[in-house]
Order: sequence, then C-alpha cells, then structure tokens
Amino acid sequence: MHFDERQELARGKAFQYGFFTLIITAYAYGASDMIFGRWCDALVGVTICLAVSMCVFAVTCILKDAYLSLREKPRTVMTMFALLAAINLGFGAMYAVSGDLVEDGVLTFRAVNPIIGVLVLVILVVYIVNHLLCSREEEAE
Amino acid sequence: MKNLRLKAARAALDMSQQQLADAVGVSRQTINAIEKGDYNPTIKLCVAICRRLGKTLDELFWEG
Repeated sequence: MHFDERQELARGKAFQYGFFTLIITAYAYGASDMIFGRWCDALVGVTICLAVSMCVFAVTCILKDAYLSLREKPRTVMTMFALLAAINLGFGAMYAVSGDLVEDGVLTFRAVNPIIGVLVLVILVVYIVNHLLCSREEEAE
Repeated sequence: MKNLRLKAARAALDMSQQQLADAVGVSRQTINAIEKGDYNPTIKLCVAICRRLGKTLDELFWEG
C-alpha cells in the first residue's frame, strides 16, 4: 500500500468518521435490542454496525480520491468487488428463497452474506459514479 | 487560492497533471488539488515539484 500525503490525510479523516459511525451504530443496535427485543443474531448486529461504519470510511475515501493506493489497479480491484458482491448477494437470495434468513422473526447469522454483499455493492457503485464524474472533470481540464 | 503559477510552469514544459504526478510520486488528484488550491502540500512535496519543473519555491509557492 502506498498512499501519497494528501491521501493519507484524507484517509485519516475518513477513519475518524468511520470510527464515530461505529460508536453510534453500536449504541443504536444495543438500544434497539433493548427496546424492541431480540430482532437479529448478535453476529448480524455486529456485522451491520461494521458494514455501516466501513461504508462511511470507504465512501469518504472514494470521494476524496484516497481509496486505492497509487500501485493498485482500479479495474482489478473493482472486478474483485463485483465478484464479491455477486457471490454474497447470491447466497443472500438463496437463503431468502429457502426461508433460512429469518427464523421466528429473528434475522439469523445467514444475513451476514447479503449485508456484506450490499456493503461491497455500495462501495462499487460509489467508486464507479465518482470515477465517471472525475473522468469528465479530467476531459474538461 | 488557485496556484496558477504551478499550472503555467507545468504547461510550459508540456506536461500533463498525470506526468507530473508520476514524476513526484503522488496521484493526479493531488496535483489537481494543489493547482486548485484545495490542498496545501508539505515542503517535501513542494521541493519535489520545484525540482521537476526547474523552478524555485519562491517562483511557484511564495505568495508575495
């Protein structure tokens, strides 16, 4: 990993946003569990908190052009992300069809797959949209 | 504040932002941010840019 000085700075800020988001989501999950009762497995709750904070970190990095290091190839990384999203969402769809996703009104640990799938998909979409917008800016330069 | 002197010096050497970025080891967006005045570079990066463009720090970065 090799980031330049501006990217390091931007990533530091993004990490800060992600960290505070994690605190807020962890408290929100704890509070929802207390108020509404058990609505998901603990693993799913933790995964949701992590996914939201990682999403905040990744989106902030992408918007500041600091997500990929100077040596990483965007096409390779994004192809891998697309594959990862497809596999996880595929598993999610399979569990949803077989009815294993929710048991007795509680989101089971199998929901981890679709959550990760959605996270990766959001990162992928934001990256592509940002890339397209930056390309236009580059052409206008 | 925009750094038009940096942009002019780069253009005088017929260099793109990407070429300058590769030469000094940063991303194109970083050079773009410096030219637009959105990012204040460290002295280390300023020196690297000056060396590559054959200018002094005063000529490119001093706001007299």
